[in-house]
Amino acid sequence: MSNTQQTQAFYSLTLEPPSAVTAAVTCNAIPGLKTADQQIFEARGQRIYLHRIVENEDRTVIKLSTVVEQDVFGIVRGVAAFRIPGTPIDQLIVSSDSGRIALLNYDSAKNAFKRVHLETFGKSGIRRTIPGQYLANDPRGRCCMLASVEKNKVVYIVNRNAEAEVVISSPHEANQWASLCFGICALDTGWEHPIFAALEVDYNEAESDPSGAMYEQREKQLVYYTVDLGLNHVVKSWTDAVDYTANIMFGVPGGQDGPSGVLVCCEDRIYYRHDKTSPLCIPIPRRKGPTEDPNRKRIIVSGCLHLQKSRHEFFFLLQTEDGDVFKFTMEMAKDAQDRPTMEPVRLHMKYYDTYPPAKQMLLIRKGYIYVAAENGNSKLYHVNDLAEDPEVEPHNNFTSDGVSSDPAATYEPTYFTPRGLTFTSLAYDVPGLNPLMRTKVDNLTGEDAPQIYAIQGTGNSSVLKTMRHGLEINEIVSSPLGNLQYDNLWSLKHRAVDDYHSYLLLSSGYGDKTIVLSIGDEVETMENSPFLTNRATITANQMGDATLVQVHARGILSVLESGALNEWPAPAHRTIVAASSNDRQLLLGLSSSELAFFFMGDDGVLNQLEEMPEMSGKITALSVGQTPRGQQQAKYAVVGCDDCTIRVYSIELETALEPRSVQALSAVPTSIEVVEMLDPSSNVLVNYVHIGLQSGLYLRAVIDDVTGELGEVRTRFLGARPTRIFPVEIAEEQGIVASSSRPWLGYNNKGTYTLTPLVTGQVEAARPFVTEHLRGFCAVQGQSLLIFTLPTTDGRLSSSEVGLKYTPRAMTRHPYSPVWYVAQSDGNTLAQGTKDQLLSADGAMNGVDEDVSKQLGLSRSAGHWASCIQAVDPIFAKAATHTIEFTDNEAALCCAAVPFESKNWEVYLAVGTGQHLRPGVSAKGQAPRGYVHIYKLLEDGRNMELVHKTPFDAPIYAVHAFQGRLALGVGADLFLYDVGLKSLLRKSRGTVVANTITSIDSRGNRLICADVSESITYVVFKPKHNRMIGFVDDVIQRWTTTAAMIDYETSAGGDKFGNLWVVRCPEQASKESDEEGLGGYIVNERSYLGGAPYRLELRSHFFTQDIPMSIQRTALVAGGQEVLFWSGLQGTLGMLVPFVSREDVEFFTQLETLIRAEEPPLAGRDHLMYRSYYVPVKGVIDGDLCERFMKLSFDGKQKIAAEVEREVKEVERKVQEMRTRVAF
Amino acid sequence: MADKLRTQQQLESLQNKYIGTGHADTTKHEWTSNIARDSYASYQGHPPLLHYMSIGTGQCMERTRMACMEGMVLPVGPAPQTED
Repeated sequence: MSNTQQTQAFYSLTLEPPSAVTAAVTCNAIPGLKTADQQIFEARGQRIYLHRIVENEDRTVIKLSTVVEQDVFGIVRGVAAFRIPGTPIDQLIVSSDSGRIALLNYDSAKNAFKRVHLETFGKSGIRRTIPGQYLANDPRGRCCMLASVEKNKVVYIVNRNAEAEVVISSPHEANQWASLCFGICALDTGWEHPIFAALEVDYNEAESDPSGAMYEQREKQLVYYTVDLGLNHVVKSWTDAVDYTANIMFGVPGGQDGPSGVLVCCEDRIYYRHDKTSPLCIPIPRRKGPTEDPNRKRIIVSGCLHLQKSRHEFFFLLQTEDGDVFKFTMEMAKDAQDRPTMEPVRLHMKYYDTYPPAKQMLLIRKGYIYVAAENGNSKLYHVNDLAEDPEVEPHNNFTSDGVSSDPAATYEPTYFTPRGLTFTSLAYDVPGLNPLMRTKVDNLTGEDAPQIYAIQGTGNSSVLKTMRHGLEINEIVSSPLGNLQYDNLWSLKHRAVDDYHSYLLLSSGYGDKTIVLSIGDEVETMENSPFLTNRATITANQMGDATLVQVHARGILSVLESGALNEWPAPAHRTIVAASSNDRQLLLGLSSSELAFFFMGDDGVLNQLEEMPEMSGKITALSVGQTPRGQQQAKYAVVGCDDCTIRVYSIELETALEPRSVQALSAVPTSIEVVEMLDPSSNVLVNYVHIGLQSGLYLRAVIDDVTGELGEVRTRFLGARPTRIFPVEIAEEQGIVASSSRPWLGYNNKGTYTLTPLVTGQVEAARPFVTEHLRGFCAVQGQSLLIFTLPTTDGRLSSSEVGLKYTPRAMTRHPYSPVWYVAQSDGNTLAQGTKDQLLSADGAMNGVDEDVSKQLGLSRSAGHWASCIQAVDPIFAKAATHTIEFTDNEAALCCAAVPFESKNWEVYLAVGTGQHLRPGVSAKGQAPRGYVHIYKLLEDGRNMELVHKTPFDAPIYAVHAFQGRLALGVGADLFLYDVGLKSLLRKSRGTVVANTITSIDSRGNRLICADVSESITYVVFKPKHNRMIGFVDDVIQRWTTTAAMIDYETSAGGDKFGNLWVVRCPEQASKESDEEGLGGYIVNERSYLGGAPYRLELRSHFFTQDIPMSIQRTALVAGGQEVLFWSGLQGTLGMLVPFVSREDVEFFTQLETLIRAEEPPLAGRDHLMYRSYYVPVKGVIDGDLCERFMKLSFDGKQKIAAEVEREVKEVERKVQEMRTRVAF
Repeated sequence: MADKLRTQQQLESLQNKYIGTGHADTTKHEWTSNIARDSYASYQGHPPLLHYMSIGTGQCMERTRMACMEGMVLPVGPAPQTED
């Protein structure tokens, strides 16, 4: 990595991993659980997950919780799970781009995946002839097959030896030259030799025949491959031609359970095929309805089998591309004694329910259906009824009677009407961001940290999401407290043994007043409380067994259980400025900089220590640690003074107030709390001191239990106000609330200490609040008392959403008001106008429930486009404020808010569209055209009014506001337009790229144009001569999806193959382009190799796996450094953090190399090769790999730390700070 | 001469093992077919890319995958007539 030494390097981190599921399977991988308690083994992007369904007793709370997840640093393509006979748990198989088969199982002791076998069968990478695209395993767990799209198949036989170890055979190949494999599946043959079925097409003859006749005669073959376990080889045992449109197969149970064989799913029909029985065929029912095309044929996209072994009964659930799920059953012939035989005679299909189209549908024995959705959130449905009664909805029953099993024969199509969920109900919605079309980080609300705005989803389930870093709170009560500003509060128990809080004290330092509330069924003001109310309280606590202590500026008031009052007045001419207490100990800081220490005896009386040491400066904050469980006293107290120091004192009775250590700070401490928390890495309780500073910084340090020294200091900036710390309890663990310009929660999350803001306004003080009905928090927020709970502490992002109409393509913001404009379009979909016409002709205008229509999806129709532009206000209205539907097959592709200079900088909205677009269809006939619509923005941008639309020869993929004009790309040309009365007026034109401009960005007079396949071109606009000259382009073809200028010279972008890159303009080219006037030079420079005169320099390159859709230079947290934030199609949020110092680059480079060697990726892909998938990785260090350090074993950590000559803790701190400094 | 034979054999084994290994008489049709097939295989092998194309064309991923598979059968049309 010598390159990183020379130029800017970046640290790549994933903020939110992709949520699109690639493959999923049910398994029983966790030992000791019931067979019905199945888990889900799932692959999303480059990560693998093991999920469990967690439910409470009466099934009112159902959740999918992740047991373990791991980044495998490879493209996961398939997963499988199977049980080797005689073993207790399922083996998990991962097929990836490593050219290896990885056999894993779940190690419950370490809660991690354990690799059992890793066998190489081919080259790495995704190649045409390297198996890995398809994966199938024998249902009896004897072998598995991996297949490639062309030619190769390998079979591994797995077994168990006498020592109960899993052994894997050498690969058995079954290769067939010039044969394409459309799908494989395993047959259930009982305990006979395992058979795999494949759908194959031989292209050899079609290719060598110049007349094309052989191509017309090509056939799709169903091929059986029998694995002969005795002879240890694989033979092709049966071949037969099937319907050419066959796409997916499912194995039918065999042995005692059923007839064996396969379901071959084709377009509009499903066949049952087997070599021993005659074929059967059933048409797939089509949707009926005024807006449905009666001739449209569906295919099956996913399905699952339910087999009840005890009763030898089974059924399939098969899902069509519309999302309709059918229950598929087979009827067997009866023999003379009326017993069922293994000869199927009839197929049945019954419409079950409609779910989002799935990548994988899983039936879980506990009674759930897991739908790993292709687009949008994955969902878990609870099965209420298996639709076993044929009398229920008899019109939805379909059979194979009278349908010929000959693919060429005609048949009568069947129809059904889709409806809302009937047999199942939604149990859990798995949060996800897939597919994420665009994101933009912006601050619309004026909070201290920006929000992430995202357009997400497809069809009518698309949304505009507002995401914030923070935990959502559930507000229970917010009651006004009057005009007085309260600044602190305490919740007190009556006795130490009580479970619930009884008193709530609120103190106002400004008003020198305390109010006491009693907590019962209701929270109400207490009239005759024992507490002093005409003073401000400094601290209040319940000490000893049942003594209530209130500290105020002039002294201490303690209320004994008997009701007797004890008072300790402050020494003359001194007041109390700070105080802290635990069960037995009380420490006061006096205005004379003296400390006063008290210990409470068993009688509930406070005894003062005579010694009163004086501090070096004015005491600003102090804290005694909480009393450790089972002990009488805490060991240390920490005192902070205005000379920017904190000191640790021993407060044990024998060595009371002996100083232990000192630590200097960068600012005056305003709040200190000593909290005993679990250290997640070593799992022991450690005393942490949390310090809030005047400057808004937050520090956390560890107090050494023996010496009292402070160590492992972590710092974080929380906000612009002085930080105050409050100890709280979160999920039965200790945590803190740190309150600055907004409240933050500090807690242990998934093995790391995390600070996450709470999504609410500024909070003065927060304390735990426990009653019989509620476990939550109470807080002073402004002039109200806020009582709230935290629904979950799992995620780190909270989001709210506004529904959209169609698949969103682009978004732009109104420059002044918090309104987004979203261009939306859906291909092969009926436009709203056409739909309304059809509906009104049918007379069924109303009566379609919005929720149901959302669930059923949009009406499909080939060649049609549905499109609209919406103004969305996510802040105040939380809805789309205006919608304009497009007609005439136009599709909105891009939009920009443009202030036109000629209209006195009034902002207009420009929307680029395409008409008669035919994606995926070879170009024939009239070429698609484009339009630019100009809208006038009314009512602060919440309303739009069409001004005019201007036609163009090609679809418009990019519009951009440029110096009071509109820059737009029409094919390969870049234009500047001004707004006229009836149309746009052309001002300048330049042919700058090779194919089609897909995105434009600019700074000053410089524009960058991204081409659909040829990377980006820098263009300079010469205003005096009104010319646009492309002067730098790239040497690599980058199929750019997004590009942004990060400074005047440098651009960052992403491409369709999942790369992120940073390129820079050479210095000389940059200078020449900025010369006065045309300068004669850049315009006369000779073009080099048919392109621009200069070439871009590559600065950084990184393979991310997911396709970057947006990239932006922005800060993500308040006071954080700017980073390159990107978002990927499958729901990834990530960032590239620029390194500040050379030492860091060297350190992380070394760390990355060491971790690569210490823990090679699980699926067997070489990490460096993976990140260099298309272009060698350059100038980027993989932060996700560096964060694996935290998950290494103790020995592994020690070894690596020794290599980099640092402590383990220090390495951990460095790795964590790379993330927390700039993001979350 | 033996050397030449061995080279020939090695080349043949390579051609057998790895589809697309060229030879002295590779035609334009063979070459372009190979590239097109490799591309189609790559589109369906990378899940995000297949997803991207499916959203663009407004159909499900299984249809896009089948289109890619079907494209592999005869990606650039039948072979041209040979002269002899």
